Amino acid sequence: MSAPELDIPNQLGRGLLSTMRSLLVLGQLMTESTDEQQIVDLATTAVPSLARCRVVGVERAGATTRSPAVAAALGAVGATGGWLDLPGATWGWAYPLGSLTGPLGHLVVAAETEPTGEEQFLLRALAQQTGAALANQRLHAQEQATALELSLVNDRLRGTVGALERSMEIHARLTTVAVSGEGHDGIARAVHELTGLPVAIEDRYGNLRAWAGAHRPDPYPKDPPARREQLLRRALRSVRPIRDGGRVVALAHPQGDILGVILLVDPAGTAGEQELMALEHGATILSMELARVRSLAESELRVRRDLVDELLNGTDEESALTRAVALGYDLQRPHRVLVVEGRGRSRDTDQLFQAVRHAARDEPAGSLLVARGTQVVLLADVEADWERLRAGVLRELGGGEQSGNGSREVRARIGVGEVCERVAEFPRSYRQARLALRLLAVAEWEDRAVRFDDLGIYRLLVGIDDPGEVERFVQRWIGALLDYDRQRGANLVRTLSHYLDRGGSYEATARALIVHRNTLKYRLQRIRQITGLDLSDPETCFNLQLATRAWHTLSVLRS
Amino acid sequence: MDGNGAVTTGPIATYAGPISMGLPGVTAAPGDHVCAFYRGPVQRDEVLLPFLREGLLAGDKVICVMDDPDTERVRGPLAAEVDVELSSRTGQLNLLCSDRAYFPGGYFAADAMIDFWERGVDDAVRREGYGFVRAVGEMTWALRDLPGVEHLVSYESLLNRFIPRYPLVSLCLYDLERFTDGQVLMGLLRTHPKVLLSGQLLENPWFTEPDEYLADLG
Repeated sequence: MSAPELDIPNQLGRGLLSTMRSLLVLGQLMTESTDEQQIVDLATTAVPSLARCRVVGVERAGATTRSPAVAAALGAVGATGGWLDLPGATWGWAYPLGSLTGPLGHLVVAAETEPTGEEQFLLRALAQQTGAALANQRLHAQEQATALELSLVNDRLRGTVGALERSMEIHARLTTVAVSGEGHDGIARAVHELTGLPVAIEDRYGNLRAWAGAHRPDPYPKDPPARREQLLRRALRSVRPIRDGGRVVALAHPQGDILGVILLVDPAGTAGEQELMALEHGATILSMELARVRSLAESELRVRRDLVDELLNGTDEESALTRAVALGYDLQRPHRVLVVEGRGRSRDTDQLFQAVRHAARDEPAGSLLVARGTQVVLLADVEADWERLRAGVLRELGGGEQSGNGSREVRARIGVGEVCERVAEFPRSYRQARLALRLLAVAEWEDRAVRFDDLGIYRLLVGIDDPGEVERFVQRWIGALLDYDRQRGANLVRTLSHYLDRGGSYEATARALIVHRNTLKYRLQRIRQITGLDLSDPETCFNLQLATRAWHTLSVLRS
Repeated sequence: MDGNGAVTTGPIATYAGPISMGLPGVTAAPGDHVCAFYRGPVQRDEVLLPFLREGLLAGDKVICVMDDPDTERVRGPLAAEVDVELSSRTGQLNLLCSDRAYFPGGYFAADAMIDFWERGVDDAVRREGYGFVRAVGEMTWALRDLPGVEHLVSYESLLNRFIPRYPLVSLCLYDLERFTDGQVLMGLLRTHPKVLLSGQLLENPWFTEPDEYLADLG
């Protein structure tokens, strides 16, 4: 819409008072205006009504000047304005847009003939009013911007305070769970209540330990081990919980050791910062809980191990009983000490210990056990089927029922000591179990569970106080054969032992020794020649067999 | 009828004295066509509500065309002192939305609009017997992207031929936060004999008689 061309002399003819009123009304309207352009437009439109001239521009300081010629002319007159040499105009003038802080720019006008003094006065007054209105508008805009900024700061502050309060609420709720000993269930429930989402707690392997919320899956899905490990590694690398499909996952990993996983079930992806915060706090509390449980288990294990060690080495009965009571263990039941040797498919040194522990639990055969070197020592508190226990160990080690059936590398043998009724008897039962185990090896018996009680003559021989007598007996009967074996690297004593143990059967002996029947006959001939003894005489055979067993016993005792 | 003509067929019982605008010390005279400039809805209500309240309490006919379709924003505050329900029922208060008044055909036509006002005011005075009429228009409708709104200032000028013939004060509401075009504001200054600014009702020295103004427009 363009301004109408008015009859200016007629306008001015209304008198100066009327014109001044016009300026006042315009000034008031400018003061009420809401933006700079509105003010500039009002001034520009009003000029032709006040004087016979045209507006070149309202040039504001800092704004882009429309014409380089105007810019140059303004530069020549300075801030206070004045006469301008404008191309195409006889008369040009720059009126400063006055404000308290100095001119904000200029009202630049041009005419073919110089306006009257009264007209120039009105133009100057208009410029002054325009400047005042512009300054007022800028102040107002600044106030509004400040108010807006203040409002935004307040909003942010409210947001921060809100988040802090929420964080404190989350912290308080979970801390309550931590100290109340509600365990996994309590933690899952608290995180569910704080987030509104179903919550699962899993162990390291993905087995469900606790669930809170609706739609608990049954059966609970479990990732294959490789995918599980991949997820855990990814979560371990991230500082914050990670998204895994429809779940948000956080780890409980005190000291970097992953003990468990807590997760939000969030298929719609609605979990925001507050929910993540609750999950993180939940993971922290779960870490504490799992570390506490593990520490308890470890310290109990240590106490049990110490107790077994002391029982085997001999200890004060009173102190051992006290500690056993503290562990909730009845030490005053009859026990046997078992020593287990074996090997599984892997080279894991812990494998045999775990195999014995599980087999003893399943049998059941006892719960106090320690690893000693390559052996595991079990304090059995019941009279179990030891051969079945051995089969259980084999199974746990990864072998079949029979050690020799396609799984030769998996082996297990057990020495079982005599019953001990009192604490002081544990070292003896332990020694017996070890002796029984070593006899198995020395006498080349097949792998089995052997009770010291069942060792017959060996048991008598071990019990003889003076080994010198046994030694002299061995020398009397097989001393020459032992010398021969030592000097020639032969196997005559071993051959004799197997021959006598098999009741003089050529067939069985040759098979056990894995030699040809003729070889066996030759060796027996050598034995007759060296000892000068008749192997068909029962009395002689008895003494020779006793001598070989005594020699085994001495070997075991010496080793 | 057109903007130049009139439907006057008989005498009008006129009220010649000053009427209160509802603002301290501010009075208008019959035939005043007032342009009220304000910033934002709060300042609008500071001008509008006292004007309506005074009119209803004085027994005047009140025709109010608001651009804001939520007329409760006007009714609600008035209800504290005036029985708005009764006024509406009796027809003393005719509160309309600009869609109905200004754009019945989906476009703005100045002649049709003046006809609307003239019929409304004439009926109030001749048929309904009111001694005085207050007309209010919230003018932000003119900022819509609809055919005809560019004739806003001409329409305002034409109103000056109609208003003085009735015991009527017409208040045009212009929000300076919405009407930002300075040339339009100058046009409004030239078409309203009175200006209400910062709580003051001023004789407007910029006012130009419609014949002169419309002739200049061509």
